[in-house]
Amino acid sequence: MDLFLQLLANGLVIGTFYALSALGLTLVFGLMRIVNFAHGELYVIGGLLGWSLTDQLGLNFFLALAIVVFALAVIGYLIDRFMMSRVRGQGEEPTILLTIGLSIFITNTALLIVGTAPLKVVSPFANKPLFLGPVVLTQSRLMLVVICIAIILGAHLLIQKTSIGRAMRATFQDAMAAQLAGIRTAHIYGFTFALGAALAGAAGMLLGSIYVAQATIGGLVSLKAFVVVILGGMGSFAGAIAGGLILGVAEALWGGYVATGYVDAIGFALVIVMLLLRPYGLFGKHNERA
Amino acid sequence: MVFERNFLLAAFAVAVLVPLVVQGEYAMHIGVLIMFSVMLATSFNLIVGYVGELPLGHTAFLGIGAYVAALLSSTFGLAFHWTLICAAVIAAIFGLFIGAITLRLRGPFFVIVTLCFAEVLRLIANNWIDLTNGPMGISGIPKPDWAMSGDVLQQKVSFYYVGIGLAAITLYLSYRFVYSNIGRAAIAVRENRFVAQSVGIWPFYFGLVTFVLAAAISGVAGGYYAYYVSFVGPEVFGFSFMISMLIMVLAGGKGTLVGPVVGAVLVVLLEEFLRDFKDLRFSIFGLVVVAVVLFLPQGLMGFITKRHEAYKVRQARDA
Repeated sequence: MDLFLQLLANGLVIGTFYALSALGLTLVFGLMRIVNFAHGELYVIGGLLGWSLTDQLGLNFFLALAIVVFALAVIGYLIDRFMMSRVRGQGEEPTILLTIGLSIFITNTALLIVGTAPLKVVSPFANKPLFLGPVVLTQSRLMLVVICIAIILGAHLLIQKTSIGRAMRATFQDAMAAQLAGIRTAHIYGFTFALGAALAGAAGMLLGSIYVAQATIGGLVSLKAFVVVILGGMGSFAGAIAGGLILGVAEALWGGYVATGYVDAIGFALVIVMLLLRPYGLFGKHNERA
Repeated sequence: MVFERNFLLAAFAVAVLVPLVVQGEYAMHIGVLIMFSVMLATSFNLIVGYVGELPLGHTAFLGIGAYVAALLSSTFGLAFHWTLICAAVIAAIFGLFIGAITLRLRGPFFVIVTLCFAEVLRLIANNWIDLTNGPMGISGIPKPDWAMSGDVLQQKVSFYYVGIGLAAITLYLSYRFVYSNIGRAAIAVRENRFVAQSVGIWPFYFGLVTFVLAAAISGVAGGYYAYYVSFVGPEVFGFSFMISMLIMVLAGGKGTLVGPVVGAVLVVLLEEFLRDFKDLRFSIFGLVVVAVVLFLPQGLMGFITKRHEAYKVRQARDA
């Protein structure tokens, strides 16, 4: 029983991290319908930038985080305005190829600059173990879960309560009607992609302080993020959280009780089963069928 | 149709004559790679170009073909042609299974779920050590009889000619398929699914037939690759083969039989050319991909067709 509780706690913590790393993709893939294979690479840029700011330059963690978020937002906006906007409305093949080209470029350029070594973002939180009954967690992980929840809530409020969030939702429901209502949709597309990139970068830096930032993990991050978004349902933050938690707990339990070899396959198997049984995802709306 | 046939026949003649002019091991190695890529790109194009969905896990069939050929030849000592037939059949069975599940989905979901299947197969190849020898892979695949004689150059030339034969069979089958009733029905589905359904075409069935054919061709390509490299590891299921295939087809021009052939030749040559740039080469390759999407959205063949049509319009106006 104690083992089960420990595995469950580990799963929930990792699941929150999965949800965080998939948040950006929830916007870009779930709302904008861009199958963004460069998502993991934006995450990598965030992690590497965070490492160079905190470890190399010795900046404060939260100041560095703000810089990372801003830089990634600018990068995301530029990517959308100069690349994505040119292939918008041509189906998913050009965007997939475009983002794959981008991810090859980013990964290999990052490899040229920092090499393959795993790099650690300097964390402001102590790595002390906390004993909660039979369950052991480290302080830094618990703090990060709190930050994750804050970021997820903030993004949710931004989309649901602010006027720019309303403009975003209008644009992705019906771009033409939104334009007629006076929304500058080109800006909204750029802003949404920028927000997605900023969230990906923030996730990369935050998780780089617990695990490591590495130039080559982008592909794996992208795949897991796609799994989380599809499990939860397209474009829903509640779905991203649920998808992340399900994936985290399922992997932790499978790894603890069955075998560690196939842990990475769990997510893919879940997605295949999910799309066969519930093609709308757990929280998707019915007009967003697979 | 006539243009495609003539172009493919001309390409076949050129490919057969090349070893008489260009000599050398390296040239033959590139030739073998081109033939392998032509098979892969043609099979991938059958789904992208004629079903209109993007199977990002097409390496599943390549990998299965490669593993089947490797296991059958090294464990049971089966001859080259038998293993290739087995590779085609088993890849086709997997194609039937995976296609039956994934062709219910559309757009991005189809993309991701096919990718999931390829990843699951890669993880199985990595972990089922009794069968696949895990990450170490299967090495020492015996050479087929026809590649035993002569020096290294002679062996490469043999591989090259067998590759031409296989690629020619692939293209002949694809040609007959695309211009058969099944192929025309598939094009109708691609162009407008609802109109096609209203005249009695069952999209799922035609999609599945195309999917199975493409899987079988990929399986053969995988078997050929396994014999040539004489080593198979889990990376045959990996994303790098997928990226090459995707770029060949979309840069060459999807939905035509000529496009993927041109794309395969160009991409293989580009990858070899970029070797001079050493560490920079992958970064440059990524930029080239981005540039192709932005500036040649219909692929090379689409670009040529458009120019050709504009030219004809101008001529008609001048006359």
